[in-house]
Amino acid sequence: MTGKTVKCPKCKSEITLTGNPGEKTQIICPKCSSKGTFTFPQENSESKTTTDSFTIEVSNLTKKYNNFKAVDDVSFNVKSGEIFGFLGPNGAGKTTTIKSILGLIHANSGEIKINGFDIKKRGKEAKKYIGYLPEKVAFYDNLTALQNLHFYAEMKNVSKEECEPLIEEFGLIDSINKKVGNFSKGMTQRLGMARAVLGNPPILILDEPTGGLDPRGVVLIREKIREVRDKGTTIFVSSHILSEIQEICGRVGIINNGMLVAKDTVSELSEKMSIKPKITVELEKISDKVTEAVKKVDGVDKVEIIGRSIEVVCDSKTRGKVILAIATAGGNIINLYTKEPSLEEVFMRFTEGKK
Amino acid sequence: MILNSISSIAKKEILDNVRNKWIIVLTIIFASLALVVSYFGSIFSQGWQNFGATISGMMSLVQFLIPIIGLMLGYAAIIGEIEKGSMSSLLSLPVNRLEIILGKFFGLGSILSFTTLIGFGVAGIVIAANVVDVNYTDYLVFIGATILLGLVFLSLSLFFSSLFKKRSTAMGGAILLWFLFNMILPLVFVGIMIASSGIENIISSGGFPDWYHALELFNPLSVYSALISLTVGPVSTMQGAFSMSYPSFYSSGLMASILILWIVSFLLLAFWRFDRRDV
Repeated sequence: MTGKTVKCPKCKSEITLTGNPGEKTQIICPKCSSKGTFTFPQENSESKTTTDSFTIEVSNLTKKYNNFKAVDDVSFNVKSGEIFGFLGPNGAGKTTTIKSILGLIHANSGEIKINGFDIKKRGKEAKKYIGYLPEKVAFYDNLTALQNLHFYAEMKNVSKEECEPLIEEFGLIDSINKKVGNFSKGMTQRLGMARAVLGNPPILILDEPTGGLDPRGVVLIREKIREVRDKGTTIFVSSHILSEIQEICGRVGIINNGMLVAKDTVSELSEKMSIKPKITVELEKISDKVTEAVKKVDGVDKVEIIGRSIEVVCDSKTRGKVILAIATAGGNIINLYTKEPSLEEVFMRFTEGKK
Repeated sequence: MILNSISSIAKKEILDNVRNKWIIVLTIIFASLALVVSYFGSIFSQGWQNFGATISGMMSLVQFLIPIIGLMLGYAAIIGEIEKGSMSSLLSLPVNRLEIILGKFFGLGSILSFTTLIGFGVAGIVIAANVVDVNYTDYLVFIGATILLGLVFLSLSLFFSSLFKKRSTAMGGAILLWFLFNMILPLVFVGIMIASSGIENIISSGGFPDWYHALELFNPLSVYSALISLTVGPVSTMQGAFSMSYPSFYSSGLMASILILWIVSFLLLAFWRFDRRDV
């Protein structure tokens, strides 16, 4: 047993707690009665073989289905507190990798550690730290939303009182006592996200978190991701849409045909591959004055004239400046399109660059 | 902690299956048939004899229905969750696969016991009202043995559920299993016996040969009926054709142990398959 003194973030009063290393406790501040959780720090237990800087360690992971290598010698580390984006087209091996990390799939070779715990040998301990949103979100259809979350709270050893506020947070309070079997895909997905963050796990693994969501839902999920990141949660998020996660991720890994083809920070990666969106501005009339004005804008990489349209390659922050420049130069804008770089394009460029 | 996970899963299974339409329908069918059987069993004669007749009538009902309930409850328990996707989330929780199998077994086993108790409870009231000389201890033993039989089939279906790659195959397997123990095995065993000993010899010797009884130990339904005969008393409808004298190695303890062995070994097999499985 160890003692720890914690400070309430709201009223700054101090409380002393006792517990075992790794134990998670619910705290209710005696003064302002705000709620919170606290996890006692691990003390050099024998199983903890790595430094604290990595929370997910994947080394030489290979998974074969018959003769097909779904994941081929993949290694990467996720640092604590970062958002790691895991990108790849459909069928590239993202879900297989994620399922191996969680021990749902038995890898042919390789080693996976979560907070230093080997998922094969100490799976139960390792999984205590994880909140997971699967690619295919499913619940128990005969149970209500609340009954479902109560079950997961029990299994995670989290107070059941956290469930109702969480359902409200995800905009499902009206359906709290409805059977999940009657939920729409978007509602199920949101409840899935609520289940993942239940109990504030220090690591979140999200497999295509915005799949099947309407735009409002996408915004909600992104907000949530930022919110938990600000709490210091380590987030591993997969997607097949680059633009969807490039804004929130610190580092990304790109997987294609089971192989990790790139591992970098987003800015370095986009610089390397010059993956920038393209905007096409259709004008009433093209004049040299307009073209010159666009070329002068900082951050514009490439300007091309096609008929009455100007195609500009620049990063998304520069877009506004480009349009402003066209307007002030006297260009009369009729129409405007933007084209986000597709991941497939990125792969093409990457493999071309390698040859 | 281990018990926590198992009981949470068991509780979830109960909550989930209480609303399962098939189980509700089967429970109603079971209860009404038990009622009919007990009514006809007790209406014709009086006293202990007709209690035997009642039990015997119920036993044939049990041998048809209880395996169906056990198999229905279990065949989708693992593969259904895998196909649906909820198994991924379940396995991402701090839980191991043995706890999942055990939690499901105890949860579904409780439903099965509950169903059996409702069916026989309703019948029990009718029997108590009509029969003077009811042996309640025997009735309880009968119910207990029936639950044990149901658990054998639950355990078998859990194994099938972790063995097969598709829910539909697991269901096919469960149906086949029902035919195997209810129709195929008895036919095969009797066929072997008649082919090897000749029908005249069997009738003149006044009983089945010992090796036939040994063979029957491989059919949990036969083990169950032997267990009832050895505890509650000889089952009367069978007495008409043959005097069922069991060989000396037959004992109620052996029969109960065999049923428990079925349950434990197929639970272990279910865990073994599930543990090696990719979800």
